[in-house]
Amino acid sequence: MLGGIEAVKGGPLQVPDVHSRSYPKLLRRFVFGAVICSVLPLLVVGWISYLYYAQFSMSRMAAYFQRTVEYNRKTVESFLDERTSDLKLVAFTHSLDYLKDASNLGQVFHILNREGSFFTDLGVIGLEGKHLAYVGPYDLMDKDYSQTFWFKEVMAKGVYVSDVFMGYREIPHFIIAVLCRKGGATWILRATIYQEFLSSLVETAGLGQTGEVFLVNKDGIYQTSPKFKGKIMDKAAFPMESFTGGSGILSADPIHPPDPFTPESGIVSANLIKYGLLQSSSQQIVAYSWLRHPQWLLVVKQDFSEVFGDINRVNTVVLILLHSCVLAILIVSVFTTGQMVKTLKRRDNEAEELNRQLMQASKLASIGELAAGVAHEINNPLAVILTENQVILDLVETEQGLSTDFKEQFAASLGQIDAQVERCSHITQNLLRFSRRIALPMRFVDLNAAVKDVVGLLEKRAGSRGVQISVDFQEDLPSIRGYDFELEQVFVNLIGNAIDAHEGKPYGSIRITTRRDGKRQGVIATVADTGSGISAENLARVFDPFFTTKPVGQGTGLGLSISYSIIRQMGGAISVRSEEGKGSEFEVFLPCRDGDPDDSAQTRRKESVKRLLAVPAK
Amino acid sequence: MRKPRLLLVDDEVPFVANLLKLLSRRGYEVSAVYDGESALRIVEEKEFDVVILDQNMPGKDGITVLRELKKKWPQLEVVILTGYSSVDMALDGFELGAYDYTTKPIKLGDLEEKIGQAFRRKTLRT
Repeated sequence: MLGGIEAVKGGPLQVPDVHSRSYPKLLRRFVFGAVICSVLPLLVVGWISYLYYAQFSMSRMAAYFQRTVEYNRKTVESFLDERTSDLKLVAFTHSLDYLKDASNLGQVFHILNREGSFFTDLGVIGLEGKHLAYVGPYDLMDKDYSQTFWFKEVMAKGVYVSDVFMGYREIPHFIIAVLCRKGGATWILRATIYQEFLSSLVETAGLGQTGEVFLVNKDGIYQTSPKFKGKIMDKAAFPMESFTGGSGILSADPIHPPDPFTPESGIVSANLIKYGLLQSSSQQIVAYSWLRHPQWLLVVKQDFSEVFGDINRVNTVVLILLHSCVLAILIVSVFTTGQMVKTLKRRDNEAEELNRQLMQASKLASIGELAAGVAHEINNPLAVILTENQVILDLVETEQGLSTDFKEQFAASLGQIDAQVERCSHITQNLLRFSRRIALPMRFVDLNAAVKDVVGLLEKRAGSRGVQISVDFQEDLPSIRGYDFELEQVFVNLIGNAIDAHEGKPYGSIRITTRRDGKRQGVIATVADTGSGISAENLARVFDPFFTTKPVGQGTGLGLSISYSIIRQMGGAISVRSEEGKGSEFEVFLPCRDGDPDDSAQTRRKESVKRLLAVPAK
Repeated sequence: MRKPRLLLVDDEVPFVANLLKLLSRRGYEVSAVYDGESALRIVEEKEFDVVILDQNMPGKDGITVLRELKKKWPQLEVVILTGYSSVDMALDGFELGAYDYTTKPIKLGDLEEKIGQAFRRKTLRT
């Protein structure tokens, strides 16, 4: 196939795209409109829902953390209150004399620990700070506690729960001491509780891998071991003044502050990050609560990623769905809009082609009217000239005084007049033929047979010009309904032109093919030549009447116009591709139509008339 | 076989004059009129074998003349010779019984051939 420029007549989809510039803009506008109307509301609703849900989840989790920290605080406080009450009960229900007896004190110790072995030891201490009696694993009878901080505190306050300290035994523990004044005697009942009990009280269940709960005293000393950083009795790195009020929630995530989250807490959070309680690298949530007595701070901490893991997963799924929907809408919008614009473009092209065909038909009709009139007006004078010529010839032939040589020269000149009249006659016949607008009867036509007949006619002429004609016919082509003689004339024109296109070339070839066109339900015949081709400026005019590139006298310029007209009358299309210097390819499409051929006797007679009138166009 | 008696009906006077000369010189018995009315009148007075009839003429056109001729003298053979060939006209002519329909300009030899064929048909029919 030739790759050159193309001119099309009759093909509805093969017209140049005159709207190409506006369609991308139209496509962009449609897609933009579709996105604005569908994607934007979806995104807005989706994101608002997401933010509300995130806020709601955040509040719920903050509340959960508050409940957790409050629960742990109450557990620790209850434990300490119960143990303090135990000691108070013993102190106020037993006399000093009774308790000073080691066996009695041991019995009391045994009863106190019956519920859970909370106490490590139990001692009765006099005002001098020395044990009056002691039950426990250590040898502390001679120890003097008068200068210890807890001794002074219990003497001052009556009841004292100490912070965790090492003491003489070098083991982290804390004490509960109760001052008792009874029967004129004043003494202190003191019990020791190992720190492990505190740790066991602090519930870590449900806080996952990153969660931890710990206690620190008001000086920032760990009362229980933190899970990740630091150990018991160490000084916590964070400033204790950060934890204001009775309880609160802090967050290292300023974007998602839990509720309640105060501006002050925000500053605190910054400090906590600075001192390492909160890690800026991972989003964390911290809940805290101060114990009433002793002044310990209970801290519950967990990473956001774990706290909100399930919620985040749900949110992620929702966001993926949301964005998938947006993407789907975009794809569908682009696709459907593209299809719509494509259809619009096709319709526009069809309308454009229809307009062009109407214009062409109108042009041909006008030219046809003119041509018919001109032909009529010329034919009569031509008839007179021809007969006058014959009269002169008769006169010359019968004149006795003229020499034979003179008569021959005269006859030759008259013969030249005859030839020119015939030439004029040929032109007028073509004009009349071109202008004819009648509904001719259609018959079933075998395209292959029609083309084969024409090839047989023109093969000799082609051969004499060094042009070889080859054919490639598809077998079993469906018959088309049309005008057999007219169709043959189309191929006479096309193949004749193809032969003429080799003028000035020593040799060349013409390839003729036929094939079925399933898409358009018809047949296609192509005539491709290796001739001189058609220039771009001429290509658009090849089907115009009276347009010819042949030398004067060799073509009327009506052959392709008539061919075009014939093919159009048969409902087909004719197109041409050409590259100057390389050759041309004409393609004829003819639809297969249903219906019986009009083959009545009258039709046959009409056909004969048609043949009488038909003069092959040059 | 005798030459056919011809009637030329055409408003193109020089053409008719030339044909008259040429055909007479070739032995035909030729009469000529320049309109349809005259043609219908002359066939009342004189017998003809073949009529060479123009189509576009002032007054009655060729088809009308043909219709009336064939109505009265169906054995008369008519060859329509016109400068304005039209398939519709040709079909009408054939429907009305014209022997042939041909376009100007025509070579004398071709015309003679058509005249001969028409005359042979008339002879065969009668």
